[in-house]
This record gives sequence, C-alpha cells and structure tokens, in this order.
Amino acid sequence: MIKIEYLTPASPEERKRYYREEWDIKQVPDFIAHSIQEREFGFDHVGRGPNDRYKVFRNPDLLKRFLKVRTPFAAYCSVAFYDKPRRRDKWTKAELVFDVDAKDIPIRTCECEGVCEICLNEAREIVCGIIDTLKEDLGLKNIHIVYSGRGYHVRVLDDDVTHVNSDVRSQIVKYIVGAEVPENEYSLDYEKVSYEHFVIPFGYPNVFTERVKYSILHLNEHSNLDEVNKKLLKDVLKYRPLIEDNNWGMFKNKIGPLRYKKVVNGIASMNMSLVDAKVSIDLKRILRLPSSLHSMVSMKCTEVKNIETFDPFKEAVPKFVYERK
Amino acid sequence: MVSVAFINPLSDEGEIIVRELGDFGRVLSDNDDLMQIVTGSRSQEISNDSFIPRNYVDLAIKRIEWFVKKKNDRNFDNNQYDFLFNTEILKFDVIAFYLLCQAVGVKYGPNSRESRVMVESQGKLIEYRLEKLSKNVREEVVTNILNSLISSTHIKWTFFEDLISTKKLKLQDLILDQGEIVLDKDDFLERFSHKIHGRKPEKMYEALIGDRIKELVMIKMVMQNTENYILKVGEKSDREIEPNPILLELADKISDVLAASVRSYGIGGSYRGNVKASALNPKAFPPCVKKVMEGMKSGGRNDAIIMFLTPFISYARLYPSVFSENITKQISDIDPSLSIVQNEVLPLIFEAAERCTPPLFEDQPQDKVNLNAKLGFGMHQDPDLKNEGETIWYTPMSCEKVKIHLPSLCKPDENCKKIGNPLSYYNMMIWKVRKEAKTESTTDNKE
Repeated sequence: MIKIEYLTPASPEERKRYYREEWDIKQVPDFIAHSIQEREFGFDHVGRGPNDRYKVFRNPDLLKRFLKVRTPFAAYCSVAFYDKPRRRDKWTKAELVFDVDAKDIPIRTCECEGVCEICLNEAREIVCGIIDTLKEDLGLKNIHIVYSGRGYHVRVLDDDVTHVNSDVRSQIVKYIVGAEVPENEYSLDYEKVSYEHFVIPFGYPNVFTERVKYSILHLNEHSNLDEVNKKLLKDVLKYRPLIEDNNWGMFKNKIGPLRYKKVVNGIASMNMSLVDAKVSIDLKRILRLPSSLHSMVSMKCTEVKNIETFDPFKEAVPKFVYERK
Repeated sequence: MVSVAFINPLSDEGEIIVRELGDFGRVLSDNDDLMQIVTGSRSQEISNDSFIPRNYVDLAIKRIEWFVKKKNDRNFDNNQYDFLFNTEILKFDVIAFYLLCQAVGVKYGPNSRESRVMVESQGKLIEYRLEKLSKNVREEVVTNILNSLISSTHIKWTFFEDLISTKKLKLQDLILDQGEIVLDKDDFLERFSHKIHGRKPEKMYEALIGDRIKELVMIKMVMQNTENYILKVGEKSDREIEPNPILLELADKISDVLAASVRSYGIGGSYRGNVKASALNPKAFPPCVKKVMEGMKSGGRNDAIIMFLTPFISYARLYPSVFSENITKQISDIDPSLSIVQNEVLPLIFEAAERCTPPLFEDQPQDKVNLNAKLGFGMHQDPDLKNEGETIWYTPMSCEKVKIHLPSLCKPDENCKKIGNPLSYYNMMIWKVRKEAKTESTTDNKE
C-alpha cells in the first residue's frame, strides 16, 4: 500500500502522463457517460479553482480528446442536467449528492492536518451509514459512490429525487445525518409514554441512534461537543463500551438522564457537519469528474464499486506515484 | 356524522355546496339563516351586533379575524366566534372559505402574507374543529378525508414532496420504511413487530403514528391544497381581464384585518412592528453573529463574512424591519449619501474580516468585490451610488440557512428558540434593551 507522504501535488508532467498513458474514457462511469451531452463541464487548468466553465461535450470522444490534450489540474462535471448545458439553461434535474470530506468531518480520531488513512476510513464509515438510510428509509436504489481524492461523493440518480428542490434536499440531509433529537414523549388518550430514540428500531429515531452511536464511539478526550464539559466527556468515554453492546439504557443511567440529553443535543448539532450540506442543496453544483486526477493530492477520483472493502490507497493511486519512490 | 366538507372544503361535498350557491351577488346580502345559526350556537356571545356575521363575506372576514386574534390577543374570547365550530354552519362556511381563497388568489397571489394567513387559519380551524368532535367521529372523519386524498395504501414519501418542501411536514415526523410512509396499523405491525423488543408494538404504533400523525398529515394536506387552490386562482385571474369587484373588496378587508392586527399586536408578536433603524448595539447580536465578529478560521471565512455577516450588519443598521415591512429597498433609500455604510457598516465587517485567520481580505482581496455585490452595488471594489441596483441587496440568512451553510456558527441560546432569523433575534433584543432602559428611567424619575 502506498504511504500518504508520497501523495504530494502532481507536476504538470505527471498530469500529462496520467491522462495520456493511464486514463481511459471507459473509466468515466456510465451514469455520466450516458448523459454527457446534458451536463456542464468545468476545468481548473492552473490550480486556482474551476474557472473554465460552461464546457459541453456532445459525446465521450470529445471529452477524451479535451482531457488528453489539455491535461487539466482538475476536471468537474455538473450534477445537473440541462437541455442547454452551454448556458446552464433549461435545468431538467439534478443528482442528489452528499459530500463527505475527510478533513471536514466533525469527529476525527486522527487529528491530522489534512487527510490520512484514519480519517478517510472514518469518512467511508459515515458514507456506509448514509447509504443504509438512503436505501432502507428513503427506498432509493440508483446510488453511486465516488472517491473524490479527499473523501467521498454519494450521488443518487433515482427519478424520485432528481427533480426535488433545495428545500426538500435540505430536509433529506437533516434526516440522513440525524440533525435533530427525536421526540421522546408521546401523548396517548389518557397517558403519556416515553420512548427514547434507542428503543425505537425503525424510522428516524433509529437513524439518529446509529449516528449517535457512531459519534460516541469515535469521540476522544480532545473532542468538543456543545454543552458537554470535560467531566461529562470523560464519563461518556468511560461508559461507551455499553453502547458498543447496544446497552443504551444502562449507558443513559450511568451518565444520568439530564447529562445524556446534553450529549445527544451536542451530537445532533454537530451532525450537520457530517456532510457539506451546501453541496446537497445546490442544484447546479459541479463535482470532480470520476476518473479524473486530484492533482493536489495525486489521487484518482474514482467510482467505488464496493464501499465495504474500498481502500483508496490501493485503488485510487495513479501509477506515476509509485514511480516517485 | 360530520360532513367532511366541514374539515376539508375542497372535498367533493364542498364543491357541490359551492355549485349550489347560485347567484354570486347573494354573498353580500343579509342572510337570516346564517344569523339564526350563529345566534343559536351554544356558547355564542351575542351581546354586540358586531359579533354576528350578517352574510357570507362577513363570515369570511370572521374566519380570518378569529385566527389573527386567537394568535395575538391575550384577552381573546372564543365565545365571540363559537359559530365557527357549529357544524350547522357548514354550507355558509364552505362558501366563505372559497370566497377567501379567491379574493386572496385574485388580489395577492400565493406568495403573499394574506395567502399565508389564509392557509394557516384553515389549518388551525381544522385542529380546533376536530378537538370538538368525539373520538370515534373524529377518527372516522380523518380516515374518510385521508382516504379521499391518498388513493394508494402504499404511499411513497415523495407523494408529500410539496408538504416537505414548504416545511408543513418534516421528514422526521413520519415513519419511513423502504421509501414508503407507514400510516396503517396492520402495515406497521407487519413491518416492525419482529424488531420491537420489550415494548408492546400496538402501543408504540399509537404513540409514534396513531391518530396524531394521521391528523397531522390530513391537516397539512388540506393546507397544501388550499395553497395550491389560491395559486390556481391567481394564475387564472392573470388571464382574466377584470376580477369580480366583490372579491377585490373582500381582499381589501382581509388586508385591513391584518393591518389592524399589526397595529394592535405587531406581526407575530409585540416587538417587530416598531423597529426603527438606529446605531448598532453589538450586545444585542445573536450568538452566531458574535461568533463571526470574533473572526473565523480558514474554510468558513468567505461565507461567514460575505454571505452571512454583510447582509446581517447592513440590514440590522439600515433596515431592521425588512421582514415585517416586506418591501424591497435599496441602501440609498435609507442612506442616500452612503455615509452610514461607509462609517458604521463597512468598518464592522472589515474588523471581523481582519480578525479571521488568515485575515480574509489579505489573501482574498477579490472578496471585497463580492461584499460590495451583496450590498447591491454590483461587482465593484467600493460602494458607489452609480452602480447601485446592479446586484440585489441580500437579505440576512435565516437560521435554517445558517445551519446548512455554516453549521459551526449555530450555537443557540435561550432566546434563539423564539426566532427563525438572526435579524429577528437582534430586533427582539434591541426591543428588550430599550424596554428595560425605559423601565429604569421611569424608576429613576420616581426616585
């Protein structure tokens, strides 16, 4: 496996080698190749952001020629589909996207400056949770995962969601990440009953439980949660093996009900940062083109076939990096 | 049995009632049958003639008045409006509902305050009407209406896209499984019984879904359909040459009721109606603004300073009542020489930008242009009247947007619970500060 210290920015020569010798148009996933003429493309030629936008390719061959000749620093394509992509006119639909960037996830056990094996793996675990919820709760099936170079893009193309507006997308994000603490008191005809989220094994309470479990199991003594002081954090760390065994009731008792409430409130408010919600609600976003080179870290942006077993350090490292050693 | 039209005027029964009205001109004529039902309502207050609607248009206005007063008036007396809960009023009530929707649709359209109030009032009316029914009747009515609104037993969550988009329903309120919303008890038991341990599945169904969620879904669907109907009326009226004068007159009366409520209670509370532009008081800033003022780290700097702080500071200083007045203005309408912008607004924003790590405009000087653009002065380096209007003066982000764009900023305090926009927080706190100062000075004077 390649070591992270070899993943330094790619030189213009290396970019040329990558696009001319290693890259193949067949690596562009079908979900993009089949709709290439409906999408806007954008390019960054010098490493200062995608300034060359509104590019359109009538077929994959034209894209292939462009990439092999121009060997850009970065290549992007829209999540949106247009009748007239050159002017970003007549928007027809957009993929629903979740962007999980390893350097921005709120709880990282590694404390590295940029990204490393540990936080990339944590990003992968978060993605697995998101996909479960998309499938099991929202019933979505046409889901593609892309390793972006520093994290993952989850791209959903089910017809049910590609036409929905930003407001609906924003609600989906909140549901998926567990951004709100579920109610725990319910009124029946003559009584009130209390169900904590962890006794409800379905629906949103169950999503929330999964996200809280993930967060608690990834906290460390330096973690920062709203309203959670050092003493409480220490107790959470002490008793968290109970959560590993799903002994939630006992965990809550050990922590104390009021303090438990503080912990879940803190996690809920932090959960909005699990994904970059701006990306999810943007109907005209451009995202890194799968198969293109992330020149800043010398990694391939690549479609992930099996997220459970995916290892970016084995599957997303271009050949030229191995020759740097 | 209560007619479903009493709860959902847009039902088939409701439409039949409208078709039976006959001459439209009758809506302004005194109607003895109506007055008899009103005065005969069990707890109806009849000590004053003004409590009794005399015709359909009067009744329509009473519907709105009930909602506005119930929401805002501490001394509200429900007995003045008891007739609204008398099922005998059905036929008159349905016509009044359609009159209101049409008046609002024709004159104000779906994106107006009048439309919002109409839709919300219908939702509240349904809630209170249901409360007055016995449990069995209530269940039956709700089930009947739901069955007429939802044809399939397998409901995809995307069926409620409109409700979710307009935030009438939150996805979290619903129990979702494999893309479907679970409402039916047997369906629930079939899907989840085997997963539930140590609790009775039936009881869990009653708590999590039961009548509560069914009613919620039904009410929100009727509200959404009301909004859609207003939209349809609005679109149709755009194609027509002259709207009916009775509807226009009713529309004016609705507006008068709302204006009177603003004068008496303020919009949605007692402080927002009176906010005047004045020097900024940083002590009244909400926690999110205070956080940005302390400076941001690399990553969130740009959005925090340009997208969030710039609109907030400029509106808080120049036009704090933008949301209650709901009139689009340019900065020069309030600050013709731009002296306040130059001397009070920009320095605060630049200070916050300077406190960022690294200072925002040092490594991204082009962002000054973006800042200028958010104030409405186009893509230029400095604000200049000749460029005003090239871009729009951005209104402050709502709390909802802050959570999406800048989640790390949102650390709500107790006062945040009552508001949906940081600017409303500021206005509320300013009002509180002034009120306290007034009380202090009165006490001082007495001493």
